[in-house]
Amino acid sequence: MEDSYLRFRITPPIIGSLFDDIEHKTLSPLSCLREFDNHWRVEFDLPMVGKKDIKVSFDGNYVNVEAKLKQKYSEEKLGTITKFEYFKKSISLPEKIDSKKATAKFQKGRLEIKIPKRTAGNLIKIN
Amino acid sequence: MKIVKPDTQENTLLIGFPSNGLVGTFSISYLIHHLKMKQIGEIEVPDLTPTLFVEGGEILAPIRVYNKNNIFIIISDVPFNQYLAEGFALAVLEFCKKNAIKKIMMVSGMETINQQKEAPKIYGLVTHSTLDNILYNNQIPKFLDGSIFGTDAAIMSVFRKTTIPALVLYAECHPFFPDPEASVVAIVTLAKILDIEVDTNDIQNRIEKLRIQHRRLMEETLRAIQQEQGKETRVPQIYK
Repeated sequence: MEDSYLRFRITPPIIGSLFDDIEHKTLSPLSCLREFDNHWRVEFDLPMVGKKDIKVSFDGNYVNVEAKLKQKYSEEKLGTITKFEYFKKSISLPEKIDSKKATAKFQKGRLEIKIPKRTAGNLIKIN
Repeated sequence: MKIVKPDTQENTLLIGFPSNGLVGTFSISYLIHHLKMKQIGEIEVPDLTPTLFVEGGEILAPIRVYNKNNIFIIISDVPFNQYLAEGFALAVLEFCKKNAIKKIMMVSGMETINQQKEAPKIYGLVTHSTLDNILYNNQIPKFLDGSIFGTDAAIMSVFRKTTIPALVLYAECHPFFPDPEASVVAIVTLAKILDIEVDTNDIQNRIEKLRIQHRRLMEETLRAIQQEQGKETRVPQIYK
């Protein structure tokens, strides 16, 4: 098993993260961030998206994801129909990550990014 | 609560509510739609924030009761935190007593460790051994080890102390994202248990759209679930 599912850090949820941008026709995807022994894993739910239409970038400790929908997604709010064309979201990651060694895979409409932790420190001799 | 009593015996109650992967929500609402069930009442839960939904100008209560022949369904469109879950479980029990319900069945989701599996599996948990044969006859493996919490746990806790047996089906799913694919497996299993025919083509054709449409309900559900888990020591994730 690649990941130990028993080693998580307990952190309360951050509420109100879905902000669809009607002006720019952009949907906010669901996402979750989980900590493992030596890496972080962030997932984005990107249905109606093809692998080639996803862009992932790092900006400092932010991971940015933008994806074009295969077809426009219509949603009606207060009598106004908006045709969304993109998913877009930035997530703040914890410090001490090695974004250059990050890897990503996309399966069943879910993007999974694995970001190694940066390890630094001094070994202490045990007498 | 307004209830129309049916003529048939051996009444079975299905319960759907938002939980992991929204598996219960998708499965039970699909059955209501597919079986063309009629709404016969509403359930009130103490302390639930007054909420009404409006669909095409029609006002809908968040927790509704449907019926067709001997099948009853209670479906909630709102997720429950720990305190509301207990109130909901007691309201369900009251309903069962008043309507001669002989068994109840729920559908929920459980996190799968291997998310690359082609088809999600289903596990079953029963309160009374009298329902073991349902699992055996339908080749549903028993949920053997682990812990459950939330609304399904509240309902199971209440019913295990009564003479009405309860069964919960756990479909492997992504716990933090809507997972209609897992719901399809749950629908097929429920249909087999109930000995009814259900065509799942409609939901299968809309899986991706359903995932987008239900983002906010998933987010609200996670908030409610994490309120419950926050009191324990094994909260697994940071949700953003």
